[in-house]
Amino acid sequence: MTSASAFPFAGPAPLRRGIEAALQRVVDPELALSIVDVGLVYGVTVTETQAHVLLTMTSAACPVVDLIIEDIEAELDGAVPAGMTIQVELTWAPPWSSDRMSEGAKRFMGW
Amino acid sequence: MTKPLFGLCVLTLLLAAVAGGLLRVGVVLPGAGDAPWLGYAGEFHAALMIGGFLGSVIGLERAMAVKRRLAFIAPLASVLGGLCLLRGQAAAGAWLLVAAAAAFVIVNLVVVRRQFAAHTVLLLVGALAWLAGNLLFATGARPAAPLPWWFAFLVMTIAAERLEMTRVMRRGPEVGLLLFAVLALMLASAAWFVASPASGGLLFGIALTLLAAWFGWFDVARRTIYAHGLARYMAVALLGGYAWLAVAGLAWIGMAFGLPLRDTALHALGLGFVVSMMMGHAPVILPAIARVKLTFGGWFYAPLIALHVSLALRLGVGYTDLSWRARGAVFNAAALALFIATIAGAAWAWRHQHGAVRVREIHS
Repeated sequence: MTSASAFPFAGPAPLRRGIEAALQRVVDPELALSIVDVGLVYGVTVTETQAHVLLTMTSAACPVVDLIIEDIEAELDGAVPAGMTIQVELTWAPPWSSDRMSEGAKRFMGW
Repeated sequence: MTKPLFGLCVLTLLLAAVAGGLLRVGVVLPGAGDAPWLGYAGEFHAALMIGGFLGSVIGLERAMAVKRRLAFIAPLASVLGGLCLLRGQAAAGAWLLVAAAAAFVIVNLVVVRRQFAAHTVLLLVGALAWLAGNLLFATGARPAAPLPWWFAFLVMTIAAERLEMTRVMRRGPEVGLLLFAVLALMLASAAWFVASPASGGLLFGIALTLLAAWFGWFDVARRTIYAHGLARYMAVALLGGYAWLAVAGLAWIGMAFGLPLRDTALHALGLGFVVSMMMGHAPVILPAIARVKLTFGGWFYAPLIALHVSLALRLGVGYTDLSWRARGAVFNAAALALFIATIAGAAWAWRHQHGAVRVREIHS
């Protein structure tokens, strides 16, 4: 299940494909869907020294947020140049809605 | 309190609650003899299981989500409350559970302030139900009076999480409204149960049965059962739990008409629904709250199947044959022990696999 341009990306174009693929590998464990397909990634900004991911969750009471952030950091670690810092920022604005889900994710969920 | 000590206390409360449950069906844990704690564990079985164990785990889970140090007061107080009950300090234990629930209500207010949504409001109402049950327990109301409130706490916590998950499916606003109506009936019946156990229990059973229908019809598990690995395992645990929830609802209705279904009413709900749900979510929640990585595998199905089969034996065959009720309860305990062993094995497997990867990396 892939989704082209599922989130805004700002940074060097050669890194884009690898970062998207890395984030696609981070999976919501209960849904068996990538966080990209669920629409949890609001954007990625890459500068010379840092890769910044803006992330949301479907629920503020979700206890697995730290695990998902750890998974993002682990996957991105192999996708960005060595020495670049990885920062994952959690936001609740705007709130997540099902409009952000990919077509493939919606199909799997019976839309 | 350090994390390992907290984990040890939570595990102690679970094991003591199980031992107390076994004592209630006439089975004395080997080696426990006539230890005073065992008597208290039998007397406070429900308070230990729901408040001491599950309340602490849920409180810890929510504290991890809100990331505020003060939020950990709730699970700390419920653990201490459970330990006091085990020592026979009933009043101290009960009031610590009240304090835990009050702190938990505040934590849920933080969650609602952060995200005002249907499911976060339900979590808050669930916390209030726990507080109501604990107040009834602490003020010495009729022994059964807190039970519907305690179960409402667990059921609403689960319902809130499931409602949140339905957002990934195509659902109209009527789906949420339907759930609110059923849960409102459940809360009203819990309140009515305090004054009139028969009619309150009847309404409580109707609410549980309707809730099982809601879960069975609308839950995301109906889709994720077609996934693979962990997602499918969770769906199996959920759907199995919903079937037991329906059984529990019917048993509460039957009990209101005088049928001897108390064991079914309490344990189809507590073990069949809640513990099945817990087993389903543990591979995800435990790494989040205990920071222990687990390798998921097909072996996770073994304790889950053991739980459901042993419960069917206890509540089915055991309905007419009390010796089978006791045997079934022992098998329930064995299923839980198998589950703990499975978790320990999965943690070991993860360390073994990832340790091996690191060794390969070093030598390559």
